[in-house]
Amino acid sequence: MRERITFIQKLGDSLEPSSLKINGGVISGPEVKAVREDRVTLALEELPTELQSLLKGVHELHIRWISPEPYESVSPLLARLPPGFHLFFTPGKGDHTASNKLCSTLSEIFGHVNCSTPAESFTSLPSDRFSHSTAFQYYQPLETLSGFVQYAKHQLCSGSDSSCTARADTLAKASSLDISYDTISHALKVTTLWPYQRQPIHATSRPWSRTEVGVLSADKPATLDAHELGISGLLTVLGQDSKPSVTMFTFASRHRDAESAFSTKILEPVGLHPTLQIQLESNKPPATDAYCSPHAYFTLPKGIFADKYQLGDDLFLASKNLTALRYISQPVDLEAPEYVMKGWGSAVLLQLTPPKSDKAQPWTAEIPLHLRYLEPNRGGYETIEVPYPAVFWACTAEEGTKFPNNPFERVNLGYDGLFGPRTVFWHVEPRPLGGGQLQNAIRVPVLDLDKSAWVNIGTAVAVLVGFAWVAWRLAAVYLSSGYGNEAAAPVTEAGKEKKRQ
Amino acid sequence: MANIKPAEAAAPSLITSFFGRPLPLYFSAALLRVLLLLYGLWQDANTPVKYTDIDYLVFTDAARFVSHGQSPYARETYRYTPVLAWLLLPTAQTTGNPVWDVAWFSFGKVLFAAADLVAGWLLVRLLTGKKRPMDAATARKFAAIWLLNPMVATISTRGSSEGLLGALVTALLWAVLARRVTLAGLLLGFGVHFKIYPFIYAPAIVWWMDSDRMAVGHGSSGSTRKGSSHQAQLSRLDSITAFITPARLRLALVSLTTFLGLNIFMFKLYGTPFLTHTYLHHITRIDHRHNFSPYNTQLYLTSAFPDLSALRIESVAFLPQLLLSCLLIPLVMAKKDLPTAMLAQTFAFVTFNKVCTSQYFLWYMIFLPLYLPGSSFLRSPTKLGIPALALWVVSQGLWLQQGYELEFLGRSTFLPGLWLASLGFFLVNCWILGIIIGDCNGTKEKEL
Repeated sequence: MRERITFIQKLGDSLEPSSLKINGGVISGPEVKAVREDRVTLALEELPTELQSLLKGVHELHIRWISPEPYESVSPLLARLPPGFHLFFTPGKGDHTASNKLCSTLSEIFGHVNCSTPAESFTSLPSDRFSHSTAFQYYQPLETLSGFVQYAKHQLCSGSDSSCTARADTLAKASSLDISYDTISHALKVTTLWPYQRQPIHATSRPWSRTEVGVLSADKPATLDAHELGISGLLTVLGQDSKPSVTMFTFASRHRDAESAFSTKILEPVGLHPTLQIQLESNKPPATDAYCSPHAYFTLPKGIFADKYQLGDDLFLASKNLTALRYISQPVDLEAPEYVMKGWGSAVLLQLTPPKSDKAQPWTAEIPLHLRYLEPNRGGYETIEVPYPAVFWACTAEEGTKFPNNPFERVNLGYDGLFGPRTVFWHVEPRPLGGGQLQNAIRVPVLDLDKSAWVNIGTAVAVLVGFAWVAWRLAAVYLSSGYGNEAAAPVTEAGKEKKRQ
Repeated sequence: MANIKPAEAAAPSLITSFFGRPLPLYFSAALLRVLLLLYGLWQDANTPVKYTDIDYLVFTDAARFVSHGQSPYARETYRYTPVLAWLLLPTAQTTGNPVWDVAWFSFGKVLFAAADLVAGWLLVRLLTGKKRPMDAATARKFAAIWLLNPMVATISTRGSSEGLLGALVTALLWAVLARRVTLAGLLLGFGVHFKIYPFIYAPAIVWWMDSDRMAVGHGSSGSTRKGSSHQAQLSRLDSITAFITPARLRLALVSLTTFLGLNIFMFKLYGTPFLTHTYLHHITRIDHRHNFSPYNTQLYLTSAFPDLSALRIESVAFLPQLLLSCLLIPLVMAKKDLPTAMLAQTFAFVTFNKVCTSQYFLWYMIFLPLYLPGSSFLRSPTKLGIPALALWVVSQGLWLQQGYELEFLGRSTFLPGLWLASLGFFLVNCWILGIIIGDCNGTKEKEL
């Protein structure tokens, strides 16, 4: 087990080495405004047995949970995803038991994970373009990590270890949690991120693990290339170093800060075909020396979807400030109600069209969406949450840029595999106007079960009355003139005479 | 039928001279469609809201797949015979010249609009048939109900294939009345392959084709023998053998061969997707989204909670529908007035169907020009005709208003609004159907 704890402050904030107190396996320091990232690396053997047996059948697995609470982050920890529970998965060769047990195991760990099996619930990712994409994707809204906190306390901590349970509790306030495993490294990496906020520097090492603590801040040394980020600060290996060592390094980062924000809302009236509007602060591309275009990446739960055929018309797209639908997971059933859908929903990547003026200005783009019919309920309305998209400018990086040198490198986010390997993502921060969470609620009209008592009998009566009337008219014709045309004439004449009298 | 010629008595007016010759009617029907088509092209090119029907994009996408040697079923929601995609193959043409490309792309709409005109022309032929006491000008006036109907023209120029069906069904009726049994069999088999529902016409046509009527020189034989009393004297076996006439056998053989032949051919070409999308889809579909059908609310409920065990009317919905449209109406009406019988069958089929949208109304609208002359609705327009039309429009309007609130304002109008509106519309339709059936009772003495 290895552990890396990193505090990252913004440019200009830094700590004197003397302000850190190192005492054996404990480091403490003043309160700083920073993000905190904890990364625990576990060997397969260190895991509970049910996880070991599961991971043995897995080629690659990435779980990413993102909080619906808006949070500020600091470069280079910027890779954004829509809030919720994301899963990227490649099964091992020839072993289906792992695949089939995956969803039930995840449910034990995280609480309500609603998938059944990968074959039924997951979507395939395009595998032809870049080798780093996993085979399958799954997503569902998941508002809290409370299930995982309970699992960590009871299954990962030993009963007597109160510091372990205390740390597990801090997960409840995390902004994001990443769990990654692949057969090549044979290790499970658990990375937790807490938002940019005031917090004391404090970390304790565990006897059986190597713990490295970094108190860093963004830096801009004179020699820094335009495509690079600089980081400097203090590194300490607990239980080994008696004082922190000063460090400074630069690297190319795939994910960067566009230094602007966006918000989304559902336009009124909502109806069954809601329009999601993205309101962006600025149309200014983040880099001037590269080709950049803004994109929005959605993970839409199965109750709501985008119609790829509707998003194929250029005039229509232009009227919504959209350039093109770059990707939509397949297949998307355009007709089925939500309650018969087995798949999780759909992932959508849209390229947006910013206004062409040179002056920075706010702008909007509209995404036409469609609701599925939801299960009838008591009351006649059901609420579904549409998660915020990840919004970023995708810019081409210089030839020969090497991202893997980045110690905070993050791949397999769903959208990165849809771009070329030399793409830099400049993230726009999601910042809901007037507060609130990173999701939009939609009130979906459904059949009201409180009023449905008469449907069965009422429909039957109406159909029978209609049928009886038509059948009676037919009988009247039959009785007066039979079924043949030849016999009809005299009888009908008689009938007509009667009517006239 | 003096009561349908009031216009003749009036002084020669613009209307009389308009219908006096064929050209003005067909020209204006064509012009209406050309204008709508051009307007549609303008709207599509200049506004984000499209004139072209979504279905037309499905057809043309499928045609494009076919032109690339793929299956038309590679296009999601393509639920039609491959013939439709083949017919529209010209729409997949690309010349590099944008004007020509648009023209080629519109080929299907031109085809559908042309089918409208053919259907209208066939209506006039049917109305002025040998035994119909109607002059050509009056016939054209009634055919105008179809030819100059803005709803019909709009649906075709938006790229919906219903016009094609109108032509097919009128051609079928014409072939039957002209005793062209083989042609009728071909059209019937093809029609059922194309859109399934025309199978309802088979029993009516078969019943109509009795030996008296199909005998050589059919004009005289019908009046000399009294059909029902004649048949009453025969034993059961005799009546069965008498029922099996050469004409009926030929119709059955030709239509079945056409239908099966086409299906086997398509199955060989495109395999299971052909069967799944063209036919089986209609059995397994849930039809939960709101539409005019009286069963709709019930179907939404059942699709969500299939386990509730109570017997529901919608699980036997096919019974009243098929009983009326395939058995009772043909039996009672077909021999009296085949076009009206087919109108009633279609009306019953659409009204009692588990899914019903406004495009389906075109299926019976094609028969209106044949039925309306001498109908109760026209004989007493103020007491019956206009009230019936008004009821039909108002009850449909009520449903549309509820549907609008649901679809565009997001109000939960499923219950009771939409449900009651669909039942109301259903009952109005049943009432109208009853009157159409009653009109068969010798009041319209037509011998075709």
